[in-house]
Amino acid sequence: MTPDPILRLDGIVKRFGNFTALHGIDLDITEGEFLTIVGPSGSGKSTLIRLLVGMDEVTSGSIRLRGQEVQDTPANQRPTCMVFQSLALFPHMSVGQNIEFPLKIQGVTVSERKARALELLEMLRLPVSYYDKRITQCSGGEKQRVALARALAFDPEILFFDEPLSALDYRLRKTLEKELKDLHNRTGKTFVYITHSLEEAMVMSDRIAIMNEGRFVQIAVADEIYGAPVSRFVAEFMGEVNLFEVRGAQTTGLMAQDLQIHVNGNAADMGLGLDPGQVGTLMVRPEYVRFLPPGETADFIISGVMHADYALGSRIQYEVKVADGRLLTVEKLREDRFTGAPGDKVMLGFDAESAHLIHEGADGKI
Amino acid sequence: MEKSDSRLGFLSALPLGLVLVLSFLAPLLVIALFAVMPQKVFSLANTPDFSSFAVILSQGYYKSLLWSLGMAAVSTVMLFLICWPLAYGMAKVFNRFTLILTIAVVMTLFVSENIRLFGWVLTLMKGGLFEGYFRYFFGFGYDSPLYNVPVIIFGLVYVYFPFMLFPLAQGISMVPDDARQAAADLGASRWRILWEIDLPLAAPGIVVGSLLSFVLAAGAVAESKILGGQVVIAISDDIETAFTFGQNWPLGAALSLILIMIIGGLAIYGVSRVDLDAIMGRKR
Amino acid sequence: MKPGKSTRIALLAYGIFTIAFLYLPLLSVGFASISKARYLTFPIKAYSTKWYGKALESASVHELIMTSLKLALIVTAISMVVGFFGALAFARYHWRYRTLFQKLIMLPIFFPQMVLGLALLMWFNSLGIIPTWKTAIVAHLVWIAPIATLIIAIRAYSFDPALEEAARDMGANTWTILREITLPLLMPGVISAGLFAFLLSWGNFPLSLFTTGADLTLPEWLYAKMVAGYSPLVPTLGIMSVVASFLLIMLAFSLRWLVRSVRDSRAAEN
Repeated sequence: MTPDPILRLDGIVKRFGNFTALHGIDLDITEGEFLTIVGPSGSGKSTLIRLLVGMDEVTSGSIRLRGQEVQDTPANQRPTCMVFQSLALFPHMSVGQNIEFPLKIQGVTVSERKARALELLEMLRLPVSYYDKRITQCSGGEKQRVALARALAFDPEILFFDEPLSALDYRLRKTLEKELKDLHNRTGKTFVYITHSLEEAMVMSDRIAIMNEGRFVQIAVADEIYGAPVSRFVAEFMGEVNLFEVRGAQTTGLMAQDLQIHVNGNAADMGLGLDPGQVGTLMVRPEYVRFLPPGETADFIISGVMHADYALGSRIQYEVKVADGRLLTVEKLREDRFTGAPGDKVMLGFDAESAHLIHEGADGKI
Repeated sequence: MEKSDSRLGFLSALPLGLVLVLSFLAPLLVIALFAVMPQKVFSLANTPDFSSFAVILSQGYYKSLLWSLGMAAVSTVMLFLICWPLAYGMAKVFNRFTLILTIAVVMTLFVSENIRLFGWVLTLMKGGLFEGYFRYFFGFGYDSPLYNVPVIIFGLVYVYFPFMLFPLAQGISMVPDDARQAAADLGASRWRILWEIDLPLAAPGIVVGSLLSFVLAAGAVAESKILGGQVVIAISDDIETAFTFGQNWPLGAALSLILIMIIGGLAIYGVSRVDLDAIMGRKR
Repeated sequence: MKPGKSTRIALLAYGIFTIAFLYLPLLSVGFASISKARYLTFPIKAYSTKWYGKALESASVHELIMTSLKLALIVTAISMVVGFFGALAFARYHWRYRTLFQKLIMLPIFFPQMVLGLALLMWFNSLGIIPTWKTAIVAHLVWIAPIATLIIAIRAYSFDPALEEAARDMGANTWTILREITLPLLMPGVISAGLFAFLLSWGNFPLSLFTTGADLTLPEWLYAKMVAGYSPLVPTLGIMSVVASFLLIMLAFSLRWLVRSVRDSRAAEN
């Protein structure tokens, strides 16, 4: 039996005038997990987190925290807390005063407050001397840690994050992502994180919830979302992908709509079949596509012409022009790089185990 | 670029700088010099003495100074309390109404303050708008509330209302919404947010608003003359009398100097503490 | 966290009450100006516009208005020019004494105006200048030019220095930049500063009190009559002065509206 969720959302609807931002959100959050809600801007993720924290009111639906309805409880009476996108550190207070703020509100004594603040500074790997430092003198990464320390000082049941890393440069962001995951492990708290960056979600989360147009599209562990997305939207949102519109066929199980894919055998036997006439989308990530040397074969084979290549650091990305004029993406590690030149004819192949069938056509219809 | 900036900055400051040096700083110097002239002279070509200050002490002129400062202090506190909710509304709550309110309040600034105070006389006097209609409807009247200290303070509050309202609204609009929300999220109640977040972060606006109101009210003369019927004498009134009926410039200058020292000290202190760039809306 | 509906409504009501309160005395003056009786009591028994007729006929009233008008117009013109450059020094250029300059500008605004007038009176006296309405120009400027500067500075803050740099990059010299880029972009600020300058000068009496010499401005005359002896012309002239101010504001707003709609319709044609 799964344990009772720490937070249960039931049919959350939020309207602003005539505009419906959230269409009936249901979600169970398990105690101690790191859940990331990912979506493009305008997907409703920020609206949702504001409701969860208590800064806006739901239009309808319920939010239960350990079984208690809290949707009408204002933010200052909920035992949860958020790290803001802007961090919202109080500019007129020192680092120490910021961290102590929730303790001061709770009426903790001065000496206890200070002890706790120093503990948190240490936990977040900030020097103890920062206690008296002005917020305005802190760097971006330091501010981030102070904001975290302040939220942890509150000792929330659930810690929410509203894209707090989005303003930082790439390297710092990467470091802090790892630190945050580490912090999650050390504190054992429930973290709910929203971001538009998939990379961030993949690095840190136990589960990822993909949001689009005010609904959850898929909620699953990172691998599943990456490898077996439920829709073209998720597949494309999760990074570079090759999508082929396909239709069920008698002999091969699958037939590509607009270009020639040679199926080696019957796709239905490989677990990728569709009923005759049914449409779907065959998906394969670029790193699973191989350049086939003469004599080698694969479950699915496409011929094309090398178009261009781009160095991505550890990998190289190739674009291959295929029959209908579109470009397929292939990614290889440097050691497996393609040795030919643009204009060369190439054979591409991928296997059924690395492909995934989405039961949705190009127009989004199932 | 930097070099041309400093040259252009200096050049463009020159016209206003000249106006202020020639017609603000120089006259202040003249006041200071006249303050140490013997009584009732009209020229600076005399041997300096401190007779004016002796007269101020011996003839109780400090009383009017205390009255002015006291009334200014009371009206500043009242203005702060009256304006805060409205300034909060302008900065954080109203949308279109902020503009309407701003225009309506600014327009009153263009009406000479003596006309508006005179309007209050017509409103409050016996047989005025209030008492006249009151008598008309109930058959009996009441004594006019004019010509006492509270009505002078009322007049100060009325006239200097915009000078508190706008700086306060500007100050409150500088409080980031995020900071208030974060405080609420961390468990702070409404009052706690006011005390811990709003007041300290709106401090520049509070300082400017309070200083403006206090300084202008301390130097005000029309309120006590028109509404107060000179029930108490304001310091500016004494200064005016010294110059006109008294024909004693050194006494007037000495009184002015004392007022200027107090007000100027406050103003310089306040202005030096506030980052004007931030208040005026520099882009960050 | 957002204020509840009841708070919003209460604040809105408070705001409306405030506006009513601010304008109440003007209502009384307005009634008084059309009362027939020489000595006013409410409720007003008979209305008449005779005081307006008298005011318009009176030669001394004409002189009051002309003095106030000349004074305000000259103060406005000088304030706009001085304020334009002052605002650049205040907000745009980064030069060594900028903060000092900013603070110096604030001081006259924080100053009791009547005392300022007296100080100027003594200063003029020491220089051997006999005060007339022309010396009052200087007095008004001390207070109004800094205000005009601040108004234009607000506009100058939101001005992107890259625009000037781009013009310089394309070969424009300082004067061309000032004329072609800076002035047009700050123009709305300069115009509102001019409007403020005119209205503040038109309505000001504490600065004029000691600096106009034998000449009288309209607010000075009103003040004199209010403090010593009543004249039935006081409410009438008061209202005339207020109406003139409000008409000017209306005119400014409608001109702005006109300019915008002409510009919009031109843009629509293209």
